[in-house]
Amino acid sequence: MASYMSMGEAHRRITEYLNRFADVVSYQDGTSLKHLLSLSSESSSFLALADALNLFQDANRLIRQADKYSQYAEIVAPLFRAMQSYRVGHLAESYQAFEKSANAFIQEFRNWESAWALEALYVVVYEIRVLAERADRELASNGKTPEKLKAAGSFLMKVFGVLAGKGPKRVGALYVTCQLFKVYFKLGTVHLCRSVIRSIETARIFDFEEFPVRDKVTYMYYTGRLEVLNENFSAADHKLSYALTHCDPQSEANIRMILKYLVPVKLSIGILPKRSLLEKYNLIEYNDIVLAMKRGDLRLLRQALEEHEDRFLRSGVYLVLEKLELQVYQRLVKKIYIIQKQKDPSKAHQIKLEVIVKALKWLEMEMDLDEVECIMSILIYKNLVKGYFAHKSKVAVLSKQDPFPKLNGKPINS
Amino acid sequence: MDTEAQDMQVTIVAISSSQLNHILSSNQLNHILSSSQLNHILSSSQLNHILSSRQINHMLSSNLIKHMLSLQEPIKAQTSGGYPSANYNSQTNSWNQGSYASYGHQYPNYSAESNMAYSAQNAPAAPLQYQPDYKQQWTDYYSQTEVTCAPGTENLSSTSASNLVSPLPAVASGYSALSSQHLPSTAPSSWRPEPGLSELSSVQPSAAINNVQEGYWKHGGQGLQNYHVSSAQSNFQKPLDSNPIPGSFQDQRKPEVPQRPIVQYSASHQVAQTYQSSPQTAIPFDSGRVSKMQIPTNPRISSNLPVSLPKNDNAAIGGVTKPAYISVSLPKTNENASSHVAADSAFKPGMLPKSLRGYVERALARCKDDRQMAACQDVLKEVITKASTDGTLCTLDWDTEPLFPLPNTNAINNDTLNNSIPPSSPMKNRRSPSRRTKSRWEPLPEEKPVDKQASFTPNSVKYSGGIQNHERDKQFPTGQPENKDNKFSHLKFYISNQKETNKAVFRPAKRQHIGDGRSGSNNGDSSSDSDKEQSLTAYYAGAITLADSPEERKRRESRSKRFEKTHGNRAAYNPTRTKNVGAGNLYTRRASASVLANSNSSSDGASRAVEDIDWDSLTVKGTCQEIEKRYLRLTSAPDPATVRPEEVLEKALLLVQDSQKNYLYKCDQLKSIRQDLTVQRIRNELTVKVYETHARLAIEVGDLSEINQCQSQLQTLYAEGIKGCHMEFSAYNLLCVILHSNNNRDLLSAMSRLSIEARKDAAVKHALAVRAAVTSGNYVSFFRLYKIAPNLNTCLMDLYIEKMRYAALKCITRSYRPTLPVSYVAQVLGFPSAEVSDEKDTGGLEECTEWLKAHGACLATDNTGEMMLDAKASMASLFMPEPDDAVAHGDASLAVNDFLTRSLS
Repeated sequence: MASYMSMGEAHRRITEYLNRFADVVSYQDGTSLKHLLSLSSESSSFLALADALNLFQDANRLIRQADKYSQYAEIVAPLFRAMQSYRVGHLAESYQAFEKSANAFIQEFRNWESAWALEALYVVVYEIRVLAERADRELASNGKTPEKLKAAGSFLMKVFGVLAGKGPKRVGALYVTCQLFKVYFKLGTVHLCRSVIRSIETARIFDFEEFPVRDKVTYMYYTGRLEVLNENFSAADHKLSYALTHCDPQSEANIRMILKYLVPVKLSIGILPKRSLLEKYNLIEYNDIVLAMKRGDLRLLRQALEEHEDRFLRSGVYLVLEKLELQVYQRLVKKIYIIQKQKDPSKAHQIKLEVIVKALKWLEMEMDLDEVECIMSILIYKNLVKGYFAHKSKVAVLSKQDPFPKLNGKPINS
Repeated sequence: MDTEAQDMQVTIVAISSSQLNHILSSNQLNHILSSSQLNHILSSSQLNHILSSRQINHMLSSNLIKHMLSLQEPIKAQTSGGYPSANYNSQTNSWNQGSYASYGHQYPNYSAESNMAYSAQNAPAAPLQYQPDYKQQWTDYYSQTEVTCAPGTENLSSTSASNLVSPLPAVASGYSALSSQHLPSTAPSSWRPEPGLSELSSVQPSAAINNVQEGYWKHGGQGLQNYHVSSAQSNFQKPLDSNPIPGSFQDQRKPEVPQRPIVQYSASHQVAQTYQSSPQTAIPFDSGRVSKMQIPTNPRISSNLPVSLPKNDNAAIGGVTKPAYISVSLPKTNENASSHVAADSAFKPGMLPKSLRGYVERALARCKDDRQMAACQDVLKEVITKASTDGTLCTLDWDTEPLFPLPNTNAINNDTLNNSIPPSSPMKNRRSPSRRTKSRWEPLPEEKPVDKQASFTPNSVKYSGGIQNHERDKQFPTGQPENKDNKFSHLKFYISNQKETNKAVFRPAKRQHIGDGRSGSNNGDSSSDSDKEQSLTAYYAGAITLADSPEERKRRESRSKRFEKTHGNRAAYNPTRTKNVGAGNLYTRRASASVLANSNSSSDGASRAVEDIDWDSLTVKGTCQEIEKRYLRLTSAPDPATVRPEEVLEKALLLVQDSQKNYLYKCDQLKSIRQDLTVQRIRNELTVKVYETHARLAIEVGDLSEINQCQSQLQTLYAEGIKGCHMEFSAYNLLCVILHSNNNRDLLSAMSRLSIEARKDAAVKHALAVRAAVTSGNYVSFFRLYKIAPNLNTCLMDLYIEKMRYAALKCITRSYRPTLPVSYVAQVLGFPSAEVSDEKDTGGLEECTEWLKAHGACLATDNTGEMMLDAKASMASLFMPEPDDAVAHGDASLAVNDFLTRSLS
């Protein structure tokens, strides 16, 4: 298509774009404006415009032609350059230009009293992040340091600063925050999230309920993940559950992402999911783990962990899942207790260490007395087993009342 | 480094903003400002001169009094500051923000270092003892800074009363920078009667220098004075008439501060009495002082308000506090000076064309001696004044402007002797006083303190005139009448210079301290700065054989030219200078580097982002052939003459590996090797080897900070594909993360980074198993792993043992009933040789018993005579004892003092 475009056609397309841009801004039509700024949508009109720009080359002259255009030259000129580079696949350059344009845009945005352009700003923010990610991929494949996403991070912080005020624009702050989360999680610099979270959660200008649901869900998802990292299970449960209940039930991918963290969190507070849930959202990697917890099968747990180690490490739930081991031990001891009770109720509350060692051996877990004793001691210490351990006789003496307290949604004492 | 850089920036920002205000408020023409700056530059360039001890003595005896008087003048000037209150406010603010924070850091460091350096030179043994006290005091001061602010002042007040010289102290305070700087070095002596006179004598030179310097600076100020007709004059005159009596000073802040310097002076004169008396009085004073101090404090706080307070004493105090650093730097005056210059230039770029500075330096660089220097300055001043009056100051291309012929220097009076001294020291003076002084002093304009000083002014004028005859003669044939003006100009001068310099001062100090340590052994008797200087030079240049060779010189020249190119403001290399060339060069280079740094960090128009610097052009190719080299943290661009090339570094590494010396020695050597590698940007297997060696040593002694540094370097090196013991260090890295930070995120990323091969490696496997044991709290498995740890994994696990044992004990006491044998505890908690407990090897048992007792466990002997742990009773009584031998680097046997005494002997 590009090859057939005439110079006149190119000129026409460019001026048309400029006209629309100027009009849309003067009418304060945020929805239309957002379409004009969206780079990655790759709509046909956008592609045509990019081709036209590449053909015409000197678009700046057109911008300078009329006052109507030139007042937005700061935005449009670099935007054109970004489009051109984008079209020919130079993403790093495209990012560079787009950031410049975006900078000019937020400068303008700052001056607009009302929040009419919020939609457009969202697009800019989104584009910045996505473009930066792609530019970094390009840079990395060329052996250069990927640094654009970092730059995008600081740009987004700037945008956050623009929005974090008393005016109507403040409802946009959470969107930017979520984009920042995405950047930081991708960069592995999640500690940077803290400052944004603090201002969202403590600044008086923000009322959390006032933000759009979409952003609230995203925000809760990311902060929930942070809590998972900190092994703060109660808070993680609360946040992820919020995200789950408010999430659009149609968007299964999002639900899956939430469940990916919520399931381990729930497991660690003693709540097991139904198999159907895991299957519905394609979270079968948790199947064996749940099974191991039900059966007290230590071997199965370790196998499952080993099998999906990479995945769990990457998503950051590995350590959480690993800690389920104690619950598996608890289950195992409880099973022994139940069997003993069936045989001889009067002696059921005394569990010999040897028996446990035997059970573990049966699971092909070679552990000696000392080690098992240590585990029993930890179980008692963490209040997963009520009772005490008599060293002399190598017997764990269980409390007659509720010897295996349920967690009931509370995390294990530590 | 980071913090330093930050501090630096803060200072600069503060300075520049305050200066702006200053400019605005003072209503003075730019050209005046610029001229004052010029003067400053001129004087700073003189720094290169080394002071001879003789001259100092001479000065001391003959001019001491005059000096003192003259010193006061600056104070006056500052106090009188005709600045609008607004200006004052802004300055104080900036000061508070920027400098407070930085102070905290600097002080502790400083005190330690300065003391060390000092001790090394003069009285190695005695100073050491002082260190702790001294430090403490300073830190205390600083923590309180906002309130009391005047560390020195307390003592001073007492001294002022007792000393004849009391007026002088006031002067010093004016220079707060000067006095404060000296404080650290001199202070110990004055505070402590013990050191004895011998120390004092050593101290003296510095003090003397300070005075001289001050005088010198005033000069600069005077030159400036011509230009301004300041509103301040009226203020000054009043003071002059009103209170000629020094005695009255005591009430006021300023006098107190200066007193320290006084003490020193008296010492130099061999007046033992003063010295001793001062310490005695000083100590009792402190308590009394405190109350007084606070009064001043309040004013300061209020000083933020536009109203200028009558009681400005505080200002003086502030000045005092700062000085502490400077003492450190004394030996290396030149260096300081140069750095100061650098700071200065960075700070001013907006007002003075950089090229002009380059021009001035070039002009001054030609001077063979002080006379010429002075003469040159005069000529320069004329040239610049002319340029500024006909408006070509900024438009002229100073880079290409031909230099004027060297003036004839015959017409010089005796005072020139003094000249040589002042140049170097003046710079120091300025530095520290900078912010503090400023904020305090400026508000003072109409205060009484001024009056007293005023009485002295005539003298000071004379004195200063003597020093810089040429300048003065030309500009103010009648020195005295113009005093008032001078003060005013001084004010400005100080403001501009001092603020910036704080930071700059610091770095040099570090260097010196090491330098001193070295030279100390040779120059135990050195009583003059020049000696010190020389010894320093010897350290830098002497140890490095090539330092002064012609090629090296050429290289340096080209290097300094390079800097000139990039910055256009520095070109101070002077091939004609003979004796000092080596040192001078070094300084210059350093200065230019710091200019670079400063100009980068400053927000002025000329600033360039750090990224814009062409680091390739700055990469050094080392020429040093010395295998051993002490580590000095670089404060400026590295000098190729002190950097060892790769072959030498290889030998150095072998030397360290084979060395029988202790860890601190090796650490020092390895750090210097690392530094040389870094500045030459060598990243290859040697680099890996160096870091690995260092990491292993650090692991062995548990030096966490070095471990971390090496580990992070190694990680990037391995990531670049350079070969080494990757697996071994992956294991260490894992253990470090687990054992020390215990940060889940780091742990996860460390684990996910492991390659499949890595997971198969024995050491890594072990580390992973340790991690699992730690996260699950499985103490049995942990101590089993401890016994079979490969490589140095044991050493890292050592660092976690205590925590693990304590956690285990808590667990045990909670879960076991009623008792369990201590022998079992000893076994599972990995007390040595406990595994052979069947044979009742009591070694581990006893140790375990001790440990249990130390942690509050209840032990009892049962009827078979076996020691039992009473689990229930112990549950509530467990506690983690304070480590009694806690040392930052984890090994009490490596205490720094111990090391120093060993290395000095």
